[in-house]
Amino acid sequence: MTAPEAAAAATAVLLSARGIGKAFVGVQALQDVSLELRAGEVLALIGENGAGKSTLMKILAGVHQPDAGNLHLDGQPIALPTPAAALAAGIALIHQELNLCDNLTVAGALFLGRELRRGPFLRQRAMDQAAVTALARVGLRVEPRRLVGSLAPGQKQLLEIARALHGQARVLIMDEPTSSLTPGETERLFAVVRELRAQGVGIVYITHRMAEVQALADRVVVLRDGRLVAEIDGREATPERMVAMMVGRQLRGDRRVGHAPGEPVLEVAGLRTMAWPAHGVDLRLRAGEVVGIAGLLGSGRSELLRALFGADQALAGDIVCAGTRLAAHGPAAAAAAGLVLVPEDRKLQGLVLGMNVRENLSLPTLRSRGAWLDHGYEQDLAARAIRELGIATPHQDQVAAALSGGNQQKIVLGKWLAAAPKVLLLDEPTRGVDVGARAEIYARLHELAGQGLAILFVSSELEEVLLLADRVVVMHEGRLTGELRREQMSEQAILALATGMEVA
Amino acid sequence: MKRSTILPLFLLLAGCGGDKPAAGAGAAPKLAFVTNCVAGFWTVAQAGVEAAKASTGAEVSVQMPADGLAEQQTRILEDALAKGVHGIAVSPKDPANMTELLDKIAGRAVLITHDSDAPKSKRLCYIGVDNYEAGRMCGQLVKDALPSGGAVVIIVGTLDQDNARLRRQGLIDELLDRSLDNTRFDPQDAVLKGAKYEVRATYTDQFNHAGCKNIAQDVLGRWNDVGCLVGLFEYEPPLLLEAVEEARKVGQVKLVAFDEAEQTLRGVVAGKIHGTIVQNPYEYGRQSIELLARLVREQDPARRQALLPPGGILYIPARKLQKDNVQAFWDDLKQKTGKK
Amino acid sequence: MKKVFGIAGLLFAVVVFTAVMSGQPDGSNTFLSAYNLENLAQRIGMFGILSVAAAFVIVTGGIDLSIGSVVCVAGCLLPWLLRDLGWSPFLALPAVLLLSAAIGLWHGLLVVGLRLQPFVVTLCGLLLYRGLMREFTKDQIMGFGDTAEGLRFLATGRVPVTDAFGIPVTAIALLVVAALTALLWNKTVAGRHLFATGRNEEAARFSGVATGRLTVLAYVACSLLAGFAGVLFVLYVNSAQASSAGSFYELYAIAGAVLGGVALRGGEGTVIGVLLGAALMQVLANAINLLGDSNRLEFAVVGAVILAGAAADEGVRRLFSRRR
Repeated sequence: MTAPEAAAAATAVLLSARGIGKAFVGVQALQDVSLELRAGEVLALIGENGAGKSTLMKILAGVHQPDAGNLHLDGQPIALPTPAAALAAGIALIHQELNLCDNLTVAGALFLGRELRRGPFLRQRAMDQAAVTALARVGLRVEPRRLVGSLAPGQKQLLEIARALHGQARVLIMDEPTSSLTPGETERLFAVVRELRAQGVGIVYITHRMAEVQALADRVVVLRDGRLVAEIDGREATPERMVAMMVGRQLRGDRRVGHAPGEPVLEVAGLRTMAWPAHGVDLRLRAGEVVGIAGLLGSGRSELLRALFGADQALAGDIVCAGTRLAAHGPAAAAAAGLVLVPEDRKLQGLVLGMNVRENLSLPTLRSRGAWLDHGYEQDLAARAIRELGIATPHQDQVAAALSGGNQQKIVLGKWLAAAPKVLLLDEPTRGVDVGARAEIYARLHELAGQGLAILFVSSELEEVLLLADRVVVMHEGRLTGELRREQMSEQAILALATGMEVA
Repeated sequence: MKRSTILPLFLLLAGCGGDKPAAGAGAAPKLAFVTNCVAGFWTVAQAGVEAAKASTGAEVSVQMPADGLAEQQTRILEDALAKGVHGIAVSPKDPANMTELLDKIAGRAVLITHDSDAPKSKRLCYIGVDNYEAGRMCGQLVKDALPSGGAVVIIVGTLDQDNARLRRQGLIDELLDRSLDNTRFDPQDAVLKGAKYEVRATYTDQFNHAGCKNIAQDVLGRWNDVGCLVGLFEYEPPLLLEAVEEARKVGQVKLVAFDEAEQTLRGVVAGKIHGTIVQNPYEYGRQSIELLARLVREQDPARRQALLPPGGILYIPARKLQKDNVQAFWDDLKQKTGKK
Repeated sequence: MKKVFGIAGLLFAVVVFTAVMSGQPDGSNTFLSAYNLENLAQRIGMFGILSVAAAFVIVTGGIDLSIGSVVCVAGCLLPWLLRDLGWSPFLALPAVLLLSAAIGLWHGLLVVGLRLQPFVVTLCGLLLYRGLMREFTKDQIMGFGDTAEGLRFLATGRVPVTDAFGIPVTAIALLVVAALTALLWNKTVAGRHLFATGRNEEAARFSGVATGRLTVLAYVACSLLAGFAGVLFVLYVNSAQASSAGSFYELYAIAGAVLGGVALRGGEGTVIGVLLGAALMQVLANAINLLGDSNRLEFAVVGAVILAGAAADEGVRRLFSRRR
């Protein structure tokens, strides 16, 4: 790129927002936020949950209307009264939770709402052909007639992007696009994002993962409490610096000093699950030990936890938890034996979203006094959990759905800690949890391990595994392919085992 | 559509391709007696059929559509034809829409209607009650119950059915001292005031028994001056009696009934119901079969015509039951239905 | 409580309107007369029990379309046991209730064990039980003769309060049923678990709640209450005919519950709301009989008011959520 070209590119501001403010029922979600997105750049938007990221994103995509400020596209003022208007202007939002109909074909999903037609009839073949080209642009090679439901999450993500680009989008807003992707799929997505940047598409990239910011971002803007607090060059964005700007304070990223594990509390032999029926898993966990299970998506990690907890029936295997043998058990029996699970899907399995904080916290351990519910016990339990875990809620009666992901996750954790478990299973303990709450959850887990709780967790984030675990077991295609002690742990070593490579 | 295609098929299967079947002089006629639902009423008719079977030597199958749907009755009729019956007596569920089917049957067998007529079809004869006349008899009972006049409320299952409309109209015309004219129809919410009597309202309960009782209660609560309640369908008078008894208005509000539900007869015996109009299903059964047997045995068209009643209608008169004659009727009924 | 504002307001409006319209020239009032209020309370008692029954299943996120047919079963069998078999009421009543509960158990096991859709299971129940009863009774009216004289007090009796007014026994029965249900729903562990199951069965299961057992329990409670109401209905009418007894009552029951704020998606509802919803249905029917020239419009008025109620309810909810 020559100097004049670079200068021209730098000034080619695609989309700009000036002095944006937005309030919801008295809460100031955004205040005087200005930012510019240039053609051919990746602008990372970071901030804790509740910082205003999603509000800003929804204003850019026409979902919400700003109370103050205005938007300019190509230097011209523009109003985006509806998402359709934003799409027409070339601004597309890629949702975190994929918005595709599983029952459609790939081509059908791609053309949804703008089908090619002749009179009332669909031009199926023409759409199939056009789909191949559109999919190629994002490097997705699947049959146009395949059902969306049969695609992997990463493929769906690419399909969403293809869909946006097919609508002539010049601005892509991506909301945590990798939250449900495997490392391989993430790499593919990165390649597509870089390719689109080279083609001149402007990309707003929202994420919690510092590594992704470092890998992709040309510029980084940081939101905190509805204000834009910093804008830094992508090359200068170190994780420490970004986290400090997001939370406004320095976090203890401390690695806990491992301590001597106690008696074995969980012994598993030959446990086989529906995911990988051919292979059994043997596992032993000691009191006070924190063990991470690493592995690729689909390696059977979650299935292992679910089978231990009795949420799914295991095909075979011996489970003994703190002296209690568990066979053909359900979650209630597992919990009674001291084995509990913080499940992967918080909204579906972890919480009853429509119930309030107190009711969720007390659900597994509710007890009666005489015939009646013991309300006093319930209130004490909720008050204690809110205090000890630092759950940010105005009161116990707040509906769980209204809380942020981090606070919701603390409720799930809290409801099981109330059951005084011996073994705590966690599946993706910090997915969708912002950095502040994340640090608090880590600290709490350290503390619990120190008190003798055995913790077994699954995580797709290697940073997290390295930070938390005393010991890592790696799963590959239903088998435990290796075990690393704390001093042996590294990203490379884990990845090697997870992908099935033998390591010395 | 369906009938016209299925029917010939049945006829083919039955192997009766010829003209109107006629039993040989000596052979027993094969007849079918088809009702419009399953009810106690028809059990009595069946007793009449049995009596006629003995006197005529005919073979008769009695068919009752259990779910009370026109569809099912159509199937029963088609099956009867397929079995090669010589004569059918039917109470058509939906006369207005069954004309085509009935005409086809009339072309293959001797067809008469009973209980409810299908005047537009080619049926040879109708045997049953004159519902308008029955309604007028009911009106006479009301007049007898309220000799110095008063307000009357009618409760009926529905006004969609011909018999319900005619019964109500007969009742109204009698109370208002109008001429005999069964083609009149007063709308449900018309103001009907005569010299002495007033028909205050007509309520329909859509066959909901608890609903019928609720309506009776609401009528009693709404008007203090209603002198008589009339229930036109079999299940209604006992429910009206319930409501009047609970309101402690027995005697103050008179009751006039239709049909012979057990609780109705009890009420008449006890003097709590002023009277009831009963039909004679036994005679429907007996006369239908006797006439059919004669028609089937007679080959000559002219002489066959002579067997029919004038105008093709044979009215079996309804009867008024009151305290003095109810016990005899009841004993007779028990005997005919084989109940103690 | 917010959720019952809409329906309470609507009920109040209908009551006031009817009371004003039914004033008589002589100063009396046909709607507010002791006689009419007694009758109304009696009907609300019977239909209210049905709505509580429906609510039990709806709270789990299911539906029971067989309620009217269970009313029919109980209504046809009680006279048969008492009159034809000569059983004592002390034997016949528990037998009918036990059979009703067994029907609910059967529904629950099909829904939970075989994972059949509640709609399918109970729709088939609706057809099956009524059909069987019609065959069993040969479509004859099942009457008590004089074998239920004492028992009929349950349905037609009054507990005198003043000379003119007495509280119908069915209304007392409803209050007892409602109080027990409210206690179960709000004050017991099982109730909390029932609502958690209705809101999010998976999360409840992951919390160690015996969701299957609770769902079965809800179906048993529903059919048991429907059978109890069936007993009251047959005692009220003094006879039952299989083809019509309880016909369409499931719709009255469900409409009452839903009108009272029990969400069809499950996990939401209050007993007081159900009572208000059931009461509104009966007040409407009563008002039409008292004020109308004919009762042809009954279904249309009921439908329109329910729709208005649902819209008003949603409006109230939005108003509150915007204020928050």
